Amino acid sequence: MTIADSHASSPRLDAKVPGGPMDERWSNHKFDLKLVNPSNRRKFDVIVVGTGLAGGSAAATLAEMGYNVKSFCIHDSPRRAHSIAAQGGINAAKNYKGDGDSVHRLFYDTVKGGDYRSRESNVHRLAEVSVDIIDQCVAQGVPFAREYGGLLDNRSFGGAQVSRTFYARGQTGQQLLLGAYGAMNRMIHAGRIDSYTKREMVDLVVVNGVARGIIVRNLLTGEYERHAAHAVLMCTGGYGNAFFLSTNAKNSNVTAAWRAHKRGAFFANPCYTQIHPTCIPRSGDYQSKLTLMSESLRNDGRVWVPEKEGDPRAPQDIPESERDYYLERKYPSFGNLVPRDVASRNAKTVCDEGRGVGPTGEAVYLDFGDAIRRDGKETIASRYGNLFEMYERITGDNPYEIPMRIFPAVHYTMGGLWVDYNLESTIPGLFVLGEANFSDHGANRLGASALMQGLADGYFVIPATIASHLAGRKLEAVSVNDDAFKEAEAKARERADLLLACNGNRSVDSLHRELGNTVWNYCGMERTAEGLQEGILKVRELRAEFWSNVKVNGDPNHVNQDLEKAGRVADFMEFAEVMFNDALVRDESCGGHFRAEHQTEEGEARRDDENYAHVSAWEFTEEQKLPTEHREQLTFEEVKLTTRSYK
Amino acid sequence: MNSFIRFLSSSIGRKYVMAVTGLSLTLFLLVHMAGNLTLYAGNDAFNEYADLLESNPLLPLAEAGLLVLFVVHILFAVLLTGRNKTSRSDKYQSSLGMGAKTVASTTMWITGPVLLVFLVIHIWDFRISKELLDEYDLAQMVVDRLRHPVGFVIYTASIGMVGLHMWHAFQSAFQTLGVAHPRYRSLIQNTGRLITALLVAGFGGIPFYLFFTG
Amino acid sequence: MIQKKNHGDLRIVLEVWRQNGPGAPGAFEEHEVMANEHMSFLELLDVLNEQLVESGRDPFVFEHDCREGICGSCSMTIDGKPHGPRDRTTACQLHMREYRNGDRVRVEPWRANAFPVVKDLMTDRSAFDRIQQAGGYVSINTGSAPDAHAMPVNKENADMAFDAAACIGCGACVAACPNASAMLFTSAKLSQYTLLPQGQPERDQRALGMVDQMDAEGFGNCTNHYECEAACPKGISVTNIARMNREYARATLRRRD
Ligand SMILES: Cc1cc2nc3c(=O)[nH]c(=O)nc-3n(C[C@H](O)[C@H](O)[C@H](O)COP(=O)(O)OP(=O)(O)OC[C@H]3O[C@@H](n4cnc5c(N)ncnc54)[C@H](O)[C@@H]3O)c2cc1C
Ligand code: HEM
Ligand code: SF4
Ligand code: FES
Repeated sequence: MTIADSHASSPRLDAKVPGGPMDERWSNHKFDLKLVNPSNRRKFDVIVVGTGLAGGSAAATLAEMGYNVKSFCIHDSPRRAHSIAAQGGINAAKNYKGDGDSVHRLFYDTVKGGDYRSRESNVHRLAEVSVDIIDQCVAQGVPFAREYGGLLDNRSFGGAQVSRTFYARGQTGQQLLLGAYGAMNRMIHAGRIDSYTKREMVDLVVVNGVARGIIVRNLLTGEYERHAAHAVLMCTGGYGNAFFLSTNAKNSNVTAAWRAHKRGAFFANPCYTQIHPTCIPRSGDYQSKLTLMSESLRNDGRVWVPEKEGDPRAPQDIPESERDYYLERKYPSFGNLVPRDVASRNAKTVCDEGRGVGPTGEAVYLDFGDAIRRDGKETIASRYGNLFEMYERITGDNPYEIPMRIFPAVHYTMGGLWVDYNLESTIPGLFVLGEANFSDHGANRLGASALMQGLADGYFVIPATIASHLAGRKLEAVSVNDDAFKEAEAKARERADLLLACNGNRSVDSLHRELGNTVWNYCGMERTAEGLQEGILKVRELRAEFWSNVKVNGDPNHVNQDLEKAGRVADFMEFAEVMFNDALVRDESCGGHFRAEHQTEEGEARRDDENYAHVSAWEFTEEQKLPTEHREQLTFEEVKLTTRSYK
Repeated sequence: MNSFIRFLSSSIGRKYVMAVTGLSLTLFLLVHMAGNLTLYAGNDAFNEYADLLESNPLLPLAEAGLLVLFVVHILFAVLLTGRNKTSRSDKYQSSLGMGAKTVASTTMWITGPVLLVFLVIHIWDFRISKELLDEYDLAQMVVDRLRHPVGFVIYTASIGMVGLHMWHAFQSAFQTLGVAHPRYRSLIQNTGRLITALLVAGFGGIPFYLFFTG
Repeated sequence: MIQKKNHGDLRIVLEVWRQNGPGAPGAFEEHEVMANEHMSFLELLDVLNEQLVESGRDPFVFEHDCREGICGSCSMTIDGKPHGPRDRTTACQLHMREYRNGDRVRVEPWRANAFPVVKDLMTDRSAFDRIQQAGGYVSINTGSAPDAHAMPVNKENADMAFDAAACIGCGACVAACPNASAMLFTSAKLSQYTLLPQGQPERDQRALGMVDQMDAEGFGNCTNHYECEAACPKGISVTNIARMNREYARATLRRRD
């Protein structure tokens, strides 16, 4: 049965989902896909933008298969992509612990965790290939945690009922990325990948409706380069830095995705952002980014704020009776372990009530006092020693003695460029992988699933599905001297010149910070129609202010980090408006999108499956004009839609 | 290219050569020192020991071997140091240091050449000059040299240099050769210190003994 | 006159290296910043850069990304210590509470011929990539891997491999080495694979390839000062260098050509 039969998908959004039983779709699809003959593969050039888990794994695998790969990243080395920062782990339905895990369970959990806003077939495929990812990574020498018997260890993560998370101390992302980077290196050494580092994609080149190349700026020399290919893969990560403060790396940006959007790629569900509840709070205006601390802290720490508003006392001077352990009070059965979004929203609520703590009033306590008294300092140290150390390094406070202060922060973006089952965007020949696409996490991502998705896309999905384009379409020869390339390059240059010519009074950072504040306040953890409308106006004003008053110094023909930042912030300014619009149009609460108008009496998100079980994909129309919304209707064949409850 | 030559032109291969020749020289120094101790038993005992050595038909071979060890050690020291002194053309403007290096480790390229100068003097003193004499009393030559203030200073200072060189060198050679299991780290380090102390005390005791008893 | 924003009452006099490119002449520029003890060192530079931009001058170029001590981008020598005075801490994780009011702090780039200065505090560390390309991987095509449990790994070795794999490729070891040697980095990479069963088939060619590339890049030789270990933000041990020396000798003995 499908719900909302009456809503049809936009004809522009053909997801190309194969038919047949759910668990046979991917194998059938692979069988049905055209193949590119191995000896023909070397005739195809593939551009891969991004070298995170998605891009790194895709570049390496396509090169191994025989394609000519050109890889691009903004870092000085592919190994520094933002994926390196992931700590917790990667999920896979290996069922090594024998606790009843299976592909179906991982699939089910992911669809449910995404609050029923993802495409079932994609998620099922993700769960299927998850097991191959672990095999592949282990064979590469990725040093996952092992037990004394020499076999791999697993843990339960982010409230999952089974232990399916593989991890490598607190550096799972780094170890997985180094695995993919190693695979890339092998192909670079073999001459199968040309690696272009310190290159920023500033435009996509579309020839006769097909993505055929990119324009990049060489960040060391300021030169613009044109690169042509038969297909373009964008693996450029998420847009969390629209909020200025986030746990994302400083160079994470929406530029590549936004430029592709302006060339015709639809942007799906931009309002879905994930806020992580346990981050180290901001300490002042100069704060440049936020640091995530593992969610596992909530297993033993108790969250509280003072009963009284604006209580000036130090935490140790506040007696038990005057503390409000609000999560335990409101959610007696889950207590401090409620899901990310619930924990985050509640923290915001108590801070809005004036009960936040710390110098900025934007923090709540996470107290290990009881746990230390119960289990002893040593036990707690053995569990969280390195996290406590990190906390102390950053804040100067010793969490063994004074409660930690935590606050939610933007962490992941579920939205991204719309892609079909083949990971192809609405521009033929443009494929989007990893966090940059919208595909698998619906309205909310489960812990340890982003790494899984990035590697699934790169190692296993795209190597098969790219043939649909390369073997399925006739691709005429293009040259970087074609008009489309010249036009795109000229446009990119012109934009940079405009930025340099502004010569106003405000630094890029100050404008970015202001944008971030606006997005956080009006399109953050809690959204209202009124707030969003107000926010849109503010974003517009700020965009005008940006273009009239930004100051970018320095030489455009040399390293110019200010110019780089300015280009990215300019894109965030445009993108933010689409984000607001998406949030406004989605008149329901689901996953990471909480509309205050739609909540249950207990303050829980209330979905509207009747009217909103769809993907909103935005089409760029004209500068300064509202984009057009297209909808892909979601159908649920395997998973029954239920409402969560954590009471 | 032959794999041996490749090895010798690599950084690690060259370090191996330094370590192997250095440790062999250390062994030589220990034997040399043990022989020198006969001086405490009087001039005659020392001369007897020297005669015994010189009557050994293998001595020229041993001397040639020793010369090769020195030459190779020095040659590779020049190669290594040369590269290390040119790998950072733009120097730091603040004084670089994390606190792990020692006086001994940073002065290897100074103590080494100083030892070379000393070697020349030393070989002249007791090896070449006696060839120019028809008859000689080696023990007395040593005594005369070391009782002279200039000789005393040269010899004691050079022994100090040996100590400084060895303080770093012994454990360094084992690290270079790849013997660095954490379990043996302190054993090697202590052995190095012990050997250094033995050499300094053994060689150094003699000039002091002679100088202050004369 | 540069207008200073007050973020706190910690007055810091910064001397930051300004250089326009490799081979270009460089010099320190002196600036004053009002800091706050909770600021990170990079945030201090952010504040300085914002001051500079607003007064129409060029901000200093420095590399950074994660600001969590894991990407290995940040790279600066602070008062003669790569990544600054705090043990096992990258520059991005260094906080101003290490400093006192009125402190004078000197910031210069990594200095090594193999890491030429690109601009100000940014250097070109691509030599590290090339060392990795010369063998820092296991050759396995995607999709051909056996089940992950087909090959148990001795836990002690797995842990040692992990310790080596924790290297973030920052280059502080080279920067700290009196000889600008890259042996700590190279040996960490080599050790990870040497210690794992997956790495065995290519063991010899990896050792030869990576060491030869390291030499070709113009790094100095190790003379066992162990400054690298002391500077390394991830505590990579010099026992890895001993292992690499062994591996290289072994591979030489076993080579056929
Ligand atoms: C602190 C933190 C912890 C996390 N922990 C976990 C975890 O434990 N488990 C989990 O599953 N997920 C985790 N995540 C999420 C996960 O790390 C990311 O979603 C994932 O790594 C994204 O990978 P990616 O390959 O899509 O993109 P990225 O790794 O972001 O890579 C983007 C690449 O694109 C390049 N690029 C970007 N823009 C351009 C441009 N304009 N031109 C050229 N190149 C460009 C960059 O250089 C980079 O190489 C965490 C995220 C954060 C922030
Ligand atoms: C008296 C005899 C000598 C002995 C016993 C000796 C011993 C050693 C040893 C064991 C090492 C360590 C090798 C390593 O680190 O792997 C060493 C290093 C060195 N030696 Fe000597 N050496 C002697 C004389 C000399 C001379 C005459 C010179 C120079 C002209 C010299 C120059 C050096 C240098 C520069 C090093 C440093 C190499 C390094 O630090 O790795 N040595 N020596
Ligand atoms: S060994 Fe340590 S100092 Fe050297 S690159 Fe790796 S992490 Fe940095
Ligand atoms: S910025 Fe990533 S390690 Fe410092």
